[in-house]
Amino acid sequence: MSLESQELDELKSKIGRDPTSTELQIVAAEWSEHCSYKSSKRHLKMLPMTGPLVITEKGYDSGVLDVGDGYVVTAHIESHNHPSAVEPYGGAATGVGGVIRDILSTGTRPIALFDGLRFGDIEKDKQAKWLFKNAVRGISAYGNCLGIPTIGGEVEFDECYKNYALVDVAAVGFGKKENLIKNHAQKGDVVVLLGGATGRDGIGGSQFASDSLESEDRSAIQIPDPFIEKLIIEAILEARNQKLIHAMKDLGGGGLSCAVSETADSLGIGIEMDVTKVHTRESDMHPDEIMISESQERMLIVTNLEKLEKLKIICEKFNIQCSVIGHVTFDSLMHVKNGENTIAKISTDIVTNATLLDLPSKKPAYLETIENEKEFPLLDNYSETLSKLLSSPNIASKIWVYGQYDHEVGIRTVVKPGVDASVLRLDNGKFLSVKIDGNPKHCYINPREGAIGCFEEACRNVVCTGAKPIGMLDHLQFGNPKDTEIFWTFLESLKGLTDFAKDFEIPCIGGKVSLYNETPLGSIKPTPVIGVLGLIDDTPMISQKISENDCLVILGDTKNELGGSEYFEYIHKFIGGKCPVVNFVDSKKNMTSVLEIIQNKLAKSVHDCSKGGLAVAVSELCMTNNVGCSVSLDKVPGESLSIDKILFSESHSRYLLTIDKNKLDNVTTTLEKNNVSFEIIGNFGGNSISFSNDSKPVIDLLVDKTQKTWLSSLEELVMHA
Amino acid sequence: MATFNVQVTIENKPGISDPEGETILNDLVLRGKYESVSKIKSAKMLRFTIKENSKESAQLKVQEICDDVRIYNPLVSKVSIDVFDA
Repeated sequence: MSLESQELDELKSKIGRDPTSTELQIVAAEWSEHCSYKSSKRHLKMLPMTGPLVITEKGYDSGVLDVGDGYVVTAHIESHNHPSAVEPYGGAATGVGGVIRDILSTGTRPIALFDGLRFGDIEKDKQAKWLFKNAVRGISAYGNCLGIPTIGGEVEFDECYKNYALVDVAAVGFGKKENLIKNHAQKGDVVVLLGGATGRDGIGGSQFASDSLESEDRSAIQIPDPFIEKLIIEAILEARNQKLIHAMKDLGGGGLSCAVSETADSLGIGIEMDVTKVHTRESDMHPDEIMISESQERMLIVTNLEKLEKLKIICEKFNIQCSVIGHVTFDSLMHVKNGENTIAKISTDIVTNATLLDLPSKKPAYLETIENEKEFPLLDNYSETLSKLLSSPNIASKIWVYGQYDHEVGIRTVVKPGVDASVLRLDNGKFLSVKIDGNPKHCYINPREGAIGCFEEACRNVVCTGAKPIGMLDHLQFGNPKDTEIFWTFLESLKGLTDFAKDFEIPCIGGKVSLYNETPLGSIKPTPVIGVLGLIDDTPMISQKISENDCLVILGDTKNELGGSEYFEYIHKFIGGKCPVVNFVDSKKNMTSVLEIIQNKLAKSVHDCSKGGLAVAVSELCMTNNVGCSVSLDKVPGESLSIDKILFSESHSRYLLTIDKNKLDNVTTTLEKNNVSFEIIGNFGGNSISFSNDSKPVIDLLVDKTQKTWLSSLEELVMHA
Repeated sequence: MATFNVQVTIENKPGISDPEGETILNDLVLRGKYESVSKIKSAKMLRFTIKENSKESAQLKVQEICDDVRIYNPLVSKVSIDVFDA
């Protein structure tokens, strides 16, 4: 039993009696941090959640955006950190399954998946390697079986995730506006549970069940079954087309307890249900176990008796089980029966509205000194440094990961993973660009600016494809919120995101908060992960092959902002310094200018400058195009800096444009007109990546050799080291 | 020292679902009208050939290996080990 004693007292005073054991289980599940957001909800309201394109409806688990011509895009982000840390394969796979059902529950077809993965130091830590390998395997197994492409994500390693895993999964759905489920219920409606059988797997996933329920064969592990999920998707979409669904909710954390109480509360109804009607995998399940089991691949549907018959025919066709477990009442009570006996009868308002906490916060002591810069003497050989960075786990190509994902199934993928953001073709002739980004190293040094940076980076990536950001998903992952210092970092990140979202008019359309992410070394670094969706009205930016004599133009200033950079942390093993700060005015100007250049078809390719700085971004361009480039560091706009800082600073709002010589005048005119900071810093050609400063060579690396290490080093590390 | 064949069977713990076994049961066996079958469980089997002093030490050694090199995840699966003379 995991209600705290004051929560138990509160429950007793609210219902005026001692709760039954089933009521305790239901309330403990629903009042857990995972389901109630009791620590964060009060503050999440600050985020702007409305906008001209946002469609809101009661009871939706995912955000909905109107993309015109009668079509909508839905999006949601979830994490499965705790399950993945103990069973990476099943944990990651069931995470994918859960977020897909959130998309499905609005009545849209899931069309793409994204995942953000974070683990400990895989160069040293065998456990991190095992977690990484199996989480990737779980995601690919599940997504590939379903025929939904996994088209983007990110992978990061940091010691703060020792023996732990952050597995974030985002999904995007697409459908017709007229097909959206308008959640409602009428007198006489029935409540149906559809999909996989309820078993003992995943009992107490969102909270741990009472001690008496604990036994050897009951664990919080959830077993993925993508084939049932696929059948559920098709059955639900067919039922949607026939207008058989009044309201729908997926079963996630907290199982039936949460799905039933939340559905009832959001629709302002009551639900009376009977646990003996639930189809179970084992015959001897305790009613409490049935109520809190987190067995996967289940959906709760409200419909009427007439439509039920048609729904049953669909279920039969797809060979999935469905049981009528109860009916709608109008007393706002969640009434659970075990056959004839009432085992819980409690107001849904009490169940779904845990008392929100107003936790104290305090600026962490470490932040007082973290920004103190350490000066490093210039190194003799920056070729070696760059080469080392390009083969480091955080910067090396992630082809070993996305190569395992089917990223083309569904034939919507226009821009594939491996570049900035992926792009999907929509049925109305428009294109959707999506990216998720996080940066715990920056967020640790400055939770506010770091979080804004993640947001801007995701926007930058989307802008590089020619898309205008239209919506944002936030996933806030922190340690124990009762630690005042950790809670402060949560609030700072949230405030930063809110300011950026308001200023750029990008509404938050969904999100998730995951707290209590702790490892044996203590709390994880603050890890907000931001997803940005962008819309392209006409044609997306498809990179053309770079050829000899094309020019390299940089947009945006390079500043003395190396705190949290890969250069400081990976090369110098130093955590500290000033992290990059987004200047909102410049950021907006640069975004508009890049979009204008793309619309006028003036650039051959556009790439953003982020992890590893300018040196890494230029190398990526060279390696993906098999062409050399000579860059003059003295021409890079921004503060006057030593060469290592120009090469590796991770300042935001910077873009690299590849421009055909003939179009250079057009580009410079546009940029000058927009009053943005830019310079022509290099020329493509030859077979080496070379940087010079005042004509003195600084770096010289062969493209083919460098490319080979960049592409293979992650696989080498995981499979052979 | 004698040579033993050791069979390690790895299956999901009782109570944890087994999609593969359930699919074979529901979509192949029961559809084939073999209605006397009530349960099928899928498992992975590894066959070790090992030199040890006795059956008991062979069993212990293999158990130790499976635990040490993570042949299975103890949270999800259970292993059963059977030893045979080679």
